Amino acid sequence: MIRRLLAALPRADRRRLRVGVALTVISALAQGAAYALAVPVLRELLAGRPAAAWAPLGWLAGAAAAYALAHVAATVYGRRTGYALARTLLHRMGNQVSGLPLGWFTPRRSGELAQLATRDIMTIMSAPGHLLGPVLTAFVTPAAVAVVLCLLDWRLGVAAVAVAPVIVASYWWTGAVVRRTERAAAAAAAESAARVVEFATVLPALRAAGRSDDGLASLEVALSEQRAAGRAMARRALPAVAGFAVAVQAALTAVLVVATVLGLGGRLDAGTALAALVLAARCTEPMLVAAQLGAAVRMAGNALDRVAALLATPALPAPRRPQRIHGDDIVFTDVRMIFGETRALDGVSFTIPAGGRTALVGPSGAGKSTVAALIARFHDPDAGTVRIGGADLREVPTPELMARLSLVFQDVYLFEGTLWDNIAVGRPDAEAPAVRAAAADARVDEIARRLPQGFDTPVGPGGALLSGGERQRVSLARALLADSPIVVLDEATAALDAENEAAVTAAVERFTAGRTVVVIAHRLETIRNADQILFLDAGRIVERGAHDALLAAGGRYAGFCAQLAEAAGWQLRAVTADPAAPAPQ
Amino acid sequence: MGISLWAVARPVRVRLVAALVFQFVAAVASVVPLIAAVELAAAILGARDSRHGAYAVVVAVAGLAVRVAAGAAATALAHHADGDLQWGLRRDLARRLGQLPLGWLTGQGAGRVKKAVIDDVGALHHAVAHASLDLVTAATAPLVAGCYLLTTSPELAAALALPLAAGLWLHRRATSLAAARMPQFQTATAQLNAATVEFVHGIAVVKTFGTVGQAPQAFRRAADGYAAFVRDWARQVTRPAAVAEAVLSAPVLLLVVLTAGTALLAAGRVDGVELMAFALLGPGLTAPLLALGYGREEIRAARCAAQQLAELHAQPPMPVSASAPPPPGRAPAVELRGVSFSYDGLRDALDGIDLELAPGALTALVGRSGSGKSTLAALVARFHDPDAGQVLVDGYDVRELPSAELYRRVGFVLQQTHLLRATVRDNIRLARPDADDAAVVAAARAAAIHDRITALPAGYDTTLGEGVSLSGGEAQRIGIARVLLADPPILVLDEATAHIDPDAETAVQHAVGALVGGRTVLVVAHRLRTVTRADQIVVLADGRIAERGRHADLLVADGPYAALWRAQHPAGRLAIGAAR
Repeated sequence: MIRRLLAALPRADRRRLRVGVALTVISALAQGAAYALAVPVLRELLAGRPAAAWAPLGWLAGAAAAYALAHVAATVYGRRTGYALARTLLHRMGNQVSGLPLGWFTPRRSGELAQLATRDIMTIMSAPGHLLGPVLTAFVTPAAVAVVLCLLDWRLGVAAVAVAPVIVASYWWTGAVVRRTERAAAAAAAESAARVVEFATVLPALRAAGRSDDGLASLEVALSEQRAAGRAMARRALPAVAGFAVAVQAALTAVLVVATVLGLGGRLDAGTALAALVLAARCTEPMLVAAQLGAAVRMAGNALDRVAALLATPALPAPRRPQRIHGDDIVFTDVRMIFGETRALDGVSFTIPAGGRTALVGPSGAGKSTVAALIARFHDPDAGTVRIGGADLREVPTPELMARLSLVFQDVYLFEGTLWDNIAVGRPDAEAPAVRAAAADARVDEIARRLPQGFDTPVGPGGALLSGGERQRVSLARALLADSPIVVLDEATAALDAENEAAVTAAVERFTAGRTVVVIAHRLETIRNADQILFLDAGRIVERGAHDALLAAGGRYAGFCAQLAEAAGWQLRAVTADPAAPAPQ
Repeated sequence: MGISLWAVARPVRVRLVAALVFQFVAAVASVVPLIAAVELAAAILGARDSRHGAYAVVVAVAGLAVRVAAGAAATALAHHADGDLQWGLRRDLARRLGQLPLGWLTGQGAGRVKKAVIDDVGALHHAVAHASLDLVTAATAPLVAGCYLLTTSPELAAALALPLAAGLWLHRRATSLAAARMPQFQTATAQLNAATVEFVHGIAVVKTFGTVGQAPQAFRRAADGYAAFVRDWARQVTRPAAVAEAVLSAPVLLLVVLTAGTALLAAGRVDGVELMAFALLGPGLTAPLLALGYGREEIRAARCAAQQLAELHAQPPMPVSASAPPPPGRAPAVELRGVSFSYDGLRDALDGIDLELAPGALTALVGRSGSGKSTLAALVARFHDPDAGQVLVDGYDVRELPSAELYRRVGFVLQQTHLLRATVRDNIRLARPDADDAAVVAAARAAAIHDRITALPAGYDTTLGEGVSLSGGEAQRIGIARVLLADPPILVLDEATAHIDPDAETAVQHAVGALVGGRTVLVVAHRLRTVTRADQIVVLADGRIAERGRHADLLVADGPYAALWRAQHPAGRLAIGAAR
């Protein structure tokens, strides 16, 4: 545990933690010394020489005072170390996260990261302050006392030490059993959590199907299994925990019996024998307390593991020789990208000329989004190069790249600020009228009018209070404000916001004129107006060219266009409507 | 444990009380070996005979055995009770969820439900299975030992009471200091959490806009500010608490016992055996009390969770009728009479809606965002009950139809279809578990998803959500196949369904087309073009019906509908349709 804490810390904090540990050990040793010094005091007192007891009592007072001081210092220091540790870990996480590729930031990851940075850090923070002291004391003080017993009388020493391996073994055994059964319990808990989420999400469908009870059945099975796993855990872990308690108590009993036999037999003076009883009684309690803290120690260990895993995530390598971007043309050269087992891009080469409009089209999973993500350097390609203005993106500092790019994506990153802040982030030095103008162009002013506090309304975590279409409009306003020469656009959610589609499309038209535009296109009109169309399928470009030429070729693209036209003209037909009525134009 | 915790624990109280009794026995037994050791000391010192000493050893061992056994029994019982409590609470909550209005569920989201059913219930564990037992020990063991010591030597007991009183007073003061500053601590923690969450969610934005270094700065400031606050906290709260712990610690109590013992022994007011009693029992008096501190945080969390659970429990369930009333005569498929509804009790989302849907007719709800069209559709599917007025299906007030009866008549397809972690076949025949394969395949074919299903690893027997996941458009078509198979005569439909997955738009449209045929349909329409052939178009504005009629007539009337139409179809863009 301490080793893992140390591993997570930079040098300055390591020293601090070591000092905290040292103070705790000193307090535990002082405690042991105080107990040891009780021996001469008791010897004198029980031998009927109270006057002779004052001298060792003075030493005992010193040891007790040393313990008290060291305990207070160790507690305050440990708590402070914990807070410093939290600060250090937060800073390190901050730096680490800053260096991660944008592709890493899925909504799920962001949620996990928030948990990590708050709950897990708090757990780790409490370790030096709350756990270290009792756990260290539980081992150091009994060890010190065992040494004292050995010095008092070898037979007492043997009685105490003989049980020690059993105590240590049963401690490890308990830990191993608990860890093993905990895994099964955790799996069962995860399954019932998943079934709860499933039940809650599908409940409308279940109720509509008159099957709420059946859906409940699978959840109830999971809940029962969770209970069974919990019972199994208690069944297996309890004997182990009880075994540890027995082992600790056995040590006490052994000393008790040996002291009694020796004391009654007159082979040991009464004072020493009785002092041994006091010492043995003092050692059992801290060990039993430490056993109860086992769960907390394991939790802190798990939290540390998660933070360590984050810190070990490879970041985007910083450019060795930073290059500047000269121009807005984008060139893909034999780019390959593999996600898991899927070849998202399988050797793709193309040029997007500066100032032109390029449409990416193709079926679901063709690799359109991957192309967009690589341009924004959400990831680095597995093979090949992506260049903008002649510079390999791997050699371009992130701010340099982002100053050139605007992203208008469906999965936009809104943060938990106000609507206004979320637009203004596009150009932090922008004046209010510029922000207002961008908002109006993207029809965000219409959203603001509906919200209780207008532009000052917080949009919730990840923009949760806005619909998909609204989020996209905010991201468009941002891009309008940022005014960058290259625009990467995904049309996906346009359909959800039919009401504003015309106005937003017009704003996009005006905005993109004269810029380099890459658009994942779903609307025929957008595609037709593109200077270049790249038709992707299964990670390859299967057709490329201008609309008319491709249409004339009658290949995949032509079929795709026919489908789009059909979709755009789709109407719900009423059965009772007069089939002869002409479709309105 | 707090009143609400005790209330929540009602179903397992008997076992819990039994566990507490066992723990009480264990706590008393934990003092026995020490008292036996005192008797042993008496034997060794010659105050008693050696046979007495042997008895004392036997009693000590027996005490240890009882302590371990009773303690294990208490822990086992408490864990058993805790497991049953959690299981029971979760099952009850889940059953209760089944009775809540669907609108509440879709509004609160699965995350909130999961937090209540899994996390909040789980947070009770420590309080039920551990803290309650620790409390019994902390109350019992010092009391038993204290009484024993008091009867042994009131004077030594008085001496021991001094550090105890001082320590407890210091402890109280530290606790009240902490309590007074707790709101500040929580504010500081909340600020750091907010800055962290903000940083985490904002980092991507910040990176995207090339201002790297800004959010991390704000975040760093928050982290540093927090560190500064807790440094003060450590000085002002942690130190007094640690001082109290030190005063109550075993070495200090041992020192006090031996010092007073030396003085009293010298004065001849106590003997060796009495001194041994205090040396053995005195220093350990406070250990169970000090051990309580470790669980304080968990108990606070458990109280919070119990509060949350109580709030969830207070959610009024949707009243459900037991049996259907006798069939009324000829009635419209769906009728709304003077329906008003408000989400927040302040602003009406719907206000005095009167609307009839003739059997087999296609009715389209149109209007700007927030005009109430989705709310109206949700009332027909009984996601909510109206605050005033009536929603009638086939002449029955929906509140009087048993749930199964209502949903046999009304089906709905909304923007998102959620699939169960079950086979494709079971997902499709959700409403008709006895449907044969031919019917399932026919529904899948009509929903234009059959080919995709047969391409899955195990075809219709593929379990969804376990390695196999479908795109949004594919999930939707499974959902549509589900409704096709259920075959309800009335359908509530969100038109955006057809456009949600641009890569599967045509396929989903075919499926929706198959679904609409022959039913009474209420469609929430976003794209006016898709519903120009509706039998009835209802224009909503601010929760009221602003206009109704057929497309051509409404255009001629040049009212709100015509305005909406022009906004969606600017002159230049109308030509595109003609060009096709």
